[in-house]
Amino acid sequence: MADTAPVNPDIDLVARTQRGDARAFDELVMKYTSRLYGLVYNMTANHEDANDLLQEVFAKAFRSISGFRGKSSFYTWIHSIAVNMTINFLKKRGRRFNMSLDDVDLNIQNDKEFIELTASSSPVREADLGELQLKLNESMQKLSPEHRAVVTMFDIQGMPHAEISKILGVSEGTVRSRLFYAHRQLQAHLEEFRKK
Amino acid sequence: MQDDYEDISKLLRLKRFEQPPPDYVESFLEEFRDRQRSQLLREPAWRIAWDRLCAFFGEQMPARLGYGVASLAVLAAGGVASLNILASRPVVDQIAAVQEAPHPVTQTASLNLNPAVELPELPPMAHTASFSIPRYVMDARPVSYEPQSSF
Repeated sequence: MADTAPVNPDIDLVARTQRGDARAFDELVMKYTSRLYGLVYNMTANHEDANDLLQEVFAKAFRSISGFRGKSSFYTWIHSIAVNMTINFLKKRGRRFNMSLDDVDLNIQNDKEFIELTASSSPVREADLGELQLKLNESMQKLSPEHRAVVTMFDIQGMPHAEISKILGVSEGTVRSRLFYAHRQLQAHLEEFRKK
Repeated sequence: MQDDYEDISKLLRLKRFEQPPPDYVESFLEEFRDRQRSQLLREPAWRIAWDRLCAFFGEQMPARLGYGVASLAVLAAGGVASLNILASRPVVDQIAAVQEAPHPVTQTASLNLNPAVELPELPPMAHTASFSIPRYVMDARPVSYEPQSSF
């Protein structure tokens, strides 16, 4: 029976949505909201913008899901919609915006990497969390929307290069070169927080 | 250099701890349903068709190319529709040609008092038993139900 199990777990939900079952799409919304919110929020650095954009992303996905033929996974497809809409939004928004940051989860104090960073890097140990959060977001906003997208997906969300290349519709080489360039830029902005 | 970038990655990974309020996902779904209902009432049909077309082509190729191919598909559909309309034109042209062809002058008297203005030649009127030419000349005095006045 395991052999006949669908490779893509979303296939059933997508098929039901295409047949007009709105509850199936609700399940997809519940499943992907958290992850897509992280993607859009980390690109916009604004909670309200991220929320509005995400609403539009799901609305667009719902409108066009009957045209979805399953050539790619639903995961890739919906991420692709979210990234493209966010990049377009950022290009329209330009530099006129205010940061509206979410609270930092207090579980960060137990995170292995945070403990490592605070133990080894005196600037991180001395800076309070709010200051670090602000600096990280400011640095991200200095990147172009395309570079920000790659950094968000790779560094923050931990996606592999191959998945990012599928989502953006570019080669893996382009993903790597964008990452290299973005890291070089971020390095200059975050110099004071790096391990000495 | 690799170590430097590794440090940057570690710092960036801390951004995962920036989280929306705990009940965000549930309230998001409710807001989505509300917006969806109100949007469906406002959304024009062409927009829905366009989104579906873009989704169909965008899935098989990069998004930008998908938009391009979708635009081409719309143009092609428009072209085919125009050709169909043009293909039905000869009938209209034939009618126009018949109308433009000089009719033999059969009327001896012309009502056209101004020779500079050409009145269109009308096709001969069909006379049938059930069809009569309207008459605008009063045949008789209209019936009046008012009492006759007498002095």
